[in-house]
Amino acid sequence: MKLQAQYNKISIASTVLVLLIAGAGYYFLLQYVLKDQLDETLRVEQVEIQDFVQTNHLLPPATTYKDQRIEFKKTDKTFPQSIKTLMLYNADEKENELSRQLDFPVEVNGQYYIASVTKSQEATEEIIGVILLITLGLIILLSILLFFANRFLVKRLWKPFQTTLSSIKSFDLNAPSAIKTDKTTIHEFNELNENVSMMTERVVKDYLSLKQFIDHASHEMQTPLAVVNSKLDVLIQDPALNEKNLQDLQVIYDAVDKMSKLSQSLLLLARIENNQFSEKQEVNIQLIAKNIIQELDEWISERSLTVNNRINDLKVNMNPQLANTLITNLVINAIKHSNKQGNILLRSDKNTFTISNPGTQTLNKARIFDRFWKSEYSDGTGLGLAIAKQICDHYGFLLQYDFKERTHHFSIIF
Amino acid sequence: MKLLIVEDEKELAASMVSYLKNENYTCEVAFNFKQALDKIETSDYECIALDITLPGGSGMQLLKELKNNKKTDGVIIISAKNSIDDRINGLRLGADDYLVKPFHLSELAARINAIIRRKMYNGNNIIRFNEIFIDTLAKEVMVKEEPIELTRKEYELLVYFLSNQRKVISKNALISHLWSQEMGTGESADIIYTHIKNLRKKLHEKGCGDYIKSLYGMGYKLTDQ
Repeated sequence: MKLQAQYNKISIASTVLVLLIAGAGYYFLLQYVLKDQLDETLRVEQVEIQDFVQTNHLLPPATTYKDQRIEFKKTDKTFPQSIKTLMLYNADEKENELSRQLDFPVEVNGQYYIASVTKSQEATEEIIGVILLITLGLIILLSILLFFANRFLVKRLWKPFQTTLSSIKSFDLNAPSAIKTDKTTIHEFNELNENVSMMTERVVKDYLSLKQFIDHASHEMQTPLAVVNSKLDVLIQDPALNEKNLQDLQVIYDAVDKMSKLSQSLLLLARIENNQFSEKQEVNIQLIAKNIIQELDEWISERSLTVNNRINDLKVNMNPQLANTLITNLVINAIKHSNKQGNILLRSDKNTFTISNPGTQTLNKARIFDRFWKSEYSDGTGLGLAIAKQICDHYGFLLQYDFKERTHHFSIIF
Repeated sequence: MKLLIVEDEKELAASMVSYLKNENYTCEVAFNFKQALDKIETSDYECIALDITLPGGSGMQLLKELKNNKKTDGVIIISAKNSIDDRINGLRLGADDYLVKPFHLSELAARINAIIRRKMYNGNNIIRFNEIFIDTLAKEVMVKEEPIELTRKEYELLVYFLSNQRKVISKNALISHLWSQEMGTGESADIIYTHIKNLRKKLHEKGCGDYIKSLYGMGYKLTDQ
């Protein structure tokens, strides 16, 4: 839920609740006060009647005037006065009305009478109704007002935040530009902007130093390897070397080759991670696969493998160098791990590339793309499939492994 | 012919000199930017092997210097950086080739030879070794004036051997020269062996001497001695 909606919900709910409670309280208070006032007029009437009886020794005439009615009824004995609310028929309005009635005893020449003074409560009820209506109207009006005011106000208040947010969203480490912020008087936003700017500056700096570190690591590792290699190249020129010496030198050569390949692969992984292959263009997987198979032709025939290339036109938007590495690594993997005389099948459909090669048992699905994970028969660096996975992750492609009917299947879903 | 090696790693420079110098080539060495600049300004070289990261300046700066002075020295960049940007930058600044460390000295020699051949137009795109004659422009090989049909890999191997005459070339150097990626060392060795066997057979059929010698399978050497 948006902050604004959340805020609106709370503020409107609390306003309505307060107004409802206040309205109810107001209603009961008003009813009490108005009833009290009504009772007071009834008592004034009582005093007037009692005064009249005392002075004239006869009952005043029973009257019905507007909403007030005075009646007398004979009774045997005196009784305590009482006041009550009842429904009475109003002849003028032709309807039952809520009324307040005061009964009290009057004695005229030894005869007791029940004097009833009745006053309609209708007017009071009307006032209360109107007040209630006004209160309700106020609640609705206030809610609507609050809703729009909040919308407008909150939107304006949050504008600097939105600006900062969209600037962060469009931030690209490969083309870093300063985070754009709005000038604001709000302390929290200023603090946010300051810290975001500081953070991005630090990230850019770290990223640059990481890039530099990769460059330096590459230089620092390759140069000693170059020294070893060059010394070996000079050393084997020595005619005094015997077969045993040369075999040992061969082992050193192979180790240096492997180390150099390892460091190249690690650097490649780091460079993909650091997004250093940002250049993109449309590449044709069909063409790439064809070229790779041609290039690896000698190994394919050396292992007496057949390659069935059924790749159709498949165009993907990515870095051409990485596309080549991705397909090469998968093809090499298939060649290396096929039984002799096996058949490697490459196929594609609209957005999928699949390479299949025969095998005897399933590989560890959970670990197959891990760095340095190797099956026990592999003599590689253990980075080929990890690099393929990293490239797919980089572009949001899905790289899947499956083992079905004694065949390994590697699929890329672009 | 004079070569200049600009490389701050002294041991690497020493190996390069030891491998490259022969009856045809003399080698000079510069270990830093200033030495290299002095040498470039005072003499002309057939080819300069140039490291990019140098104490006191960048090899790229030296390239610009050469270009500004309208020098025609061939240049091969030897860099630890395997980055496309660097490669493109170097070639745009007038370098002829780009070699990534670590490399084999035989590869360096082959590439320097190729640069020098290209620089000298007067019929020097020709390699000659006794009865073997190669026109590298037409990619034609003749033995005793008779053309000989070679596959692309056999041709590459022969040129590589002729660029490293009388030197032992390791199997690893041959593999990395012929293929940009390697499968397994064992199989690559088998394939190399097959190619060399076929090359020797084809040369022998035309009455060419058997110049390619094997050193217990770990290396090969083309020699007439």
